Amino acid sequence: MVDVINYITRKSHKPLILIPVILMILSLAYIGVFGLNEGVDLKGGTLVTLELNKPMSEADVSNTISRSIGISDVETSISGNTATVTIAGDVDQAAFESKVNGQFKVLSFKSVGALLSEAAMVQIIYALIFAFVFMAATVFFVFRDFVPSFAIILSAVCNLSIAVGSMSLFGIPLSIASVGALLMLIGYGVDTDILLTTRLLKRKDGDLDDRAEGACKTGITLTISALASMIVLFIVVKIFIPSAQVLEDISAVLIMGLLSDLLATWLMNLGILKWHMERGGHN
Amino acid sequence: MVTIKPATKQFLKRPRTILLAVLLIVSIASIGIFGLQEGLDLDGGSMIQLHLEEPVDQDTMNTVTAVLDKRLNAFGISDVQVRQSGDQDVIVEIAGVRPEEVERIISTPGKFEAKINNKTALTGADISTVSAAEVTGTRWKVPFSVSLDASNKFAEVAKGQAGAEVQMFLDDKLISSPQLDAGLANGVGTTDIEVSGGEQTKEQAQQQATEIHTVLESGALPVKLSISGVNSVSAELGSQFETGSLIAGFLALLAIVVIVSIKYRSPSLVIPIVFTSLSELVLILGFASIVHWNLDLSAIAGMIATIGTGVDDQIVMTDEVLARRDRSDRKNIVKTRIKDAFFIVYASAGTLIAAMLPLAYIGFARGATGIGMLTGFAVTTVVGVIIGIFVTRPVFADYMETFLVKNPREEISINKSSSKPKKNKKKGRKTIAREEAEKKKKR
Repeated sequence: MVDVINYITRKSHKPLILIPVILMILSLAYIGVFGLNEGVDLKGGTLVTLELNKPMSEADVSNTISRSIGISDVETSISGNTATVTIAGDVDQAAFESKVNGQFKVLSFKSVGALLSEAAMVQIIYALIFAFVFMAATVFFVFRDFVPSFAIILSAVCNLSIAVGSMSLFGIPLSIASVGALLMLIGYGVDTDILLTTRLLKRKDGDLDDRAEGACKTGITLTISALASMIVLFIVVKIFIPSAQVLEDISAVLIMGLLSDLLATWLMNLGILKWHMERGGHN
Repeated sequence: MVTIKPATKQFLKRPRTILLAVLLIVSIASIGIFGLQEGLDLDGGSMIQLHLEEPVDQDTMNTVTAVLDKRLNAFGISDVQVRQSGDQDVIVEIAGVRPEEVERIISTPGKFEAKINNKTALTGADISTVSAAEVTGTRWKVPFSVSLDASNKFAEVAKGQAGAEVQMFLDDKLISSPQLDAGLANGVGTTDIEVSGGEQTKEQAQQQATEIHTVLESGALPVKLSISGVNSVSAELGSQFETGSLIAGFLALLAIVVIVSIKYRSPSLVIPIVFTSLSELVLILGFASIVHWNLDLSAIAGMIATIGTGVDDQIVMTDEVLARRDRSDRKNIVKTRIKDAFFIVYASAGTLIAAMLPLAYIGFARGATGIGMLTGFAVTTVVGVIIGIFVTRPVFADYMETFLVKNPREEISINKSSSKPKKNKKKGRKTIAREEAEKKKKR
């Protein structure tokens, strides 16, 4: 660990910048090719959590429900004795409950009509754009220096791209919850960049590498403590409350986002700042 | 009695410490008295999103929500919350899981008309009061009275029509067609009228009577509504979520405690860090309790995330103060360091709030439709960050200033025992020599 920090903060930094950049490009390409799943919130449809009375296979549940309600597009995923069923299209809850009554117990029911899902999509796009612009404006306001501010924003872009790329890779749907996590990441991910920039640019004592090392040690602790709490959240949700999809999505996206933040901050942002300062940038 | 060191006394007397203590007491008291309100996904219940046919102005929106509220209450659905969301959506939250009843209620616009020979004699707007429904066996009736003007209009239409049917329509559906009594056809107005009918069973009669009574009493919905989304969680799953998130919150906190302990190894640093985070949590909950704000899953995720950022800030501050503690003018150094740390703390708080604002705005402007579902997340985070920078973080800074300055030797020995050997190896002779040179220059 210490060796890694030592290497990152002292050795040649320019090649290291390439690692997150390449990952970012790969992520964007992956999203471009495979796209993102849309959750029920954004696609419209029905999401039902059921309690199973007896062990059943996922296909069994899908078939039973598909036969009962006459809709063929039904997907099921089972964990423990709860099944999460996604049904394409609007389903009337009362009708659904009366049809599956006796076979399953309905724990939660969520149905999103086309109007609502369209509205949600528009809101999500606005929320992401404005969150990003506000964050960028705050960063520029705080540092009032183009290169360092730009480096922070680039690091946030990289961070988000890798997070979204891994959502695509692991099949985490773009849902209201995962967007919440992305918004959190916009604000959360720049913390370490701010720490780094402040330590490198505003501090005068010690040499550059020492300051970078100090910042890196503090920053990595920050990210690790955040990672630890999110990993705990993810595991607890997986084990105890598998149907709390909101928490699972938020924690999964934040875990990947924080991991990519480590790369974006300490390989790319640090590299850019050192490069900038070597070339006679503000010190 | 335990003796209190002067430094501790001084610290406890600081205005910011007292503020934190007062706020903590207020929060705990408020949580104790008002309790915490749980949102839909922790308590169980249904949220039904209704979409209006067209955007409406505030007056119409008020009518819509008032009519819905009245009808839902009249149907015996307790714990109903009807609120507007933007200019075209209404959200209905009910404690039970009964969206089908809501559907029936909203699918009844409540347009009432009484016609005699296809001539409109009365409309819903004419009704002034509706009396209680009466059910006798399978027969039901709902008496109501109309305004004087309306009674004259009715009398005019009814004049000479004795024996004709008075067809009463609710939403263009014939609900009752009594024969016009001779007494009403003499051109003299009456203000007391009733609708009546018969059903197959007593229960059906009762239900029909209640429904018509409700609709007549609560008036017509000015626009057509449709259900655009339903979200219901059973009480069982709700309590499962509640337990689960309590476990998650506790373990997440524990994980942070472990990491902070590994890093600092000193109770005099770890305990204040953990205490600060816990008090932030209490203050957020206290705030939620005072403003009666519903805690839901997204709010819980927000709290866990807030604790995460809070601890981050404390780590930044601690590291900033601990870094290179072997300087001569310790007091000033600590002060400058804390100032530096606050720059980082404020800047990250600023960016986090900036990123959350659009979400909070959508939540308040649009209620819980769409991404507004995450309002709890945005609010918790913003409230947590604000509490952090204005209340808890300054106290933590005071703590460090008081205790890390007053007992430097103790602190140094704790810190050095773990990190000194490594530090020297890494720093190398050159760095140390340069630092010495710099020091001399300054003097």
